[in-house]
Amino acid sequence: MPDIPAIRIDHLSKRYGRLTAVRDLTFDVRPSEIFGFLGVNGAGKTTTIRILLDLVRPSSGRAAIFGDDCQACSLAARARVGYLPGEPGFYGDMTGESTLDLLGRIGGTRVDPARRRALLDRLEFHAGDLRRRMREYSTGMKRKLGIVSAFQADPPLLILDEPTEGLDPLMQEAFYDLVVDARRRGRTIFMSSHVLPEVERVCDRIGLLRGGELVLRATVPEVRALAGRRVIVRFTADVAPPRLPPGCELLDSGPRLWDLRVRGSLGPITGLLASLPVDDLDVQVPHLEEILRTYYASETRA
Amino acid sequence: MIRATLVLASHSFRRIRAIAVAIAVVLAGFQFLLTQVAVVLERDQAFGALSSLVPDFMRSIAGPSMVAFMSFGGIVALGYFHPIVLASLLGLGIAIATEPAAEIESRFDDLTLTRPVPRGAVIARSVILLVAIVGSILVLMAAATFTGLACCTPSTVQRPPVALFRALAISLGAIVWCWGALALAAAAAVRRRAVAGSLAGVGALAGFLLDYLGRVWDPISRISRLSPFHYFEPMPLVAGSPLDVRNVGILFTVGVFGVVAAYVIFDRRDL
Repeated sequence: MPDIPAIRIDHLSKRYGRLTAVRDLTFDVRPSEIFGFLGVNGAGKTTTIRILLDLVRPSSGRAAIFGDDCQACSLAARARVGYLPGEPGFYGDMTGESTLDLLGRIGGTRVDPARRRALLDRLEFHAGDLRRRMREYSTGMKRKLGIVSAFQADPPLLILDEPTEGLDPLMQEAFYDLVVDARRRGRTIFMSSHVLPEVERVCDRIGLLRGGELVLRATVPEVRALAGRRVIVRFTADVAPPRLPPGCELLDSGPRLWDLRVRGSLGPITGLLASLPVDDLDVQVPHLEEILRTYYASETRA
Repeated sequence: MIRATLVLASHSFRRIRAIAVAIAVVLAGFQFLLTQVAVVLERDQAFGALSSLVPDFMRSIAGPSMVAFMSFGGIVALGYFHPIVLASLLGLGIAIATEPAAEIESRFDDLTLTRPVPRGAVIARSVILLVAIVGSILVLMAAATFTGLACCTPSTVQRPPVALFRALAISLGAIVWCWGALALAAAAAVRRRAVAGSLAGVGALAGFLLDYLGRVWDPISRISRLSPFHYFEPMPLVAGSPLDVRNVGILFTVGVFGVVAAYVIFDRRDL
């Protein structure tokens, strides 16, 4: 099954009357990768996820999970998915244990009690907590229970909507470990998130939605390369303003300082610097957050 | 589909069992007490006096069934058509049937229907619960009636036939089924239980009043045929008429249409 994408979205659109929530979306998620699905509120992330899970029907286009159409073969597609909703609708009068049992039974796949116990332990969820009614749970505890319910059947694809919302930093770490461990075992993770450092840390590739359209799809290093590196050069003596090679942009300059943005290889600029009295060279790799902020900002302006 | 339906039904039953058991106990107890009331009235020979309290215009509206109602059998049968009993069972039926909307509202569907569970299982679950719970309550009411009659009926009185209570229970069950199914169709189309419950509840109230007006005012007697309550006629049964299978058939058919509509709407909608 290596050639079949875990998720294939093909010219997918969803309209609500005059509002277009998702517009002609096309992308694949490869097996065994962690794909970060980004965008501001209302960009269409949750609508896309709900189409994948057949909770919402597309206006046009199609989506498939491991080759099974999400609408025509919906049951087969959902049988391979573990899902963590953004706002899990747990019943407050049920205990955590009965909730996990119900969601395990209804899925039809056998849940290994040892695996569930291990997940609960990793998220520091104690047996006593499981026996309490969910109305007594904090937001973080509900989120942890949601994570366990998504992971407990060990499905090949995990769809996680804002998975670390409400988790404390320690639990966020535990969650990242779970995700990385799942990928190591060949599972695919498709997660939406607002937390860009988290995406940068765990995701292999990202897709950025803006106004229902996919405006960026790349690996994290590719995204960084798109933005270019910032190179600050200090000289021991005054130098003339440079005639820069292609791919280099002068952001600021002084008699003994150049502040440059370099897209692509650093080779041409190091060649230029070789004949100059360089005192110090500082190469800064941009954070994903800085790059994506520019996309977000351009949406706000739009 | 069957496994998922049964898992959902079991889960939903656990959530509603307390109120269902409470209503069952109250209605069965009411039915038992009615038999005791009938015994006391019979012993005191009070049916004639009770009948004389009814105004003439009411007699002319109710016709011979009024005489039948003011009898031992009529009092015993009261629980099968008393408006409060009817409202209790309709309310319970609507509560059971509107669970699909409640699950959308609470986002519980996001947990269940993202597993390999067909949407039809949600509707099938509600139908199973509606039939099983309302049916069980009717059986308990009948059991309470028979228990009361068996232990206390004076030897001078002829016990009402079993067929009467069977016919009354079927008639009551049919009207609750009909409104429950219509509530299910409403619940399949909306996102909030309160909206579905209000639609069904106000619809039932309007239907009840329309039928009532149709019975007392000729100009709207034809329109009143649109009300399901037009086909719920317990008084002729008490007066000794056989169960009108056509009436039950109409209520059952409307209910089936409601369930089919619920299934189609819920299957096609966005959740």
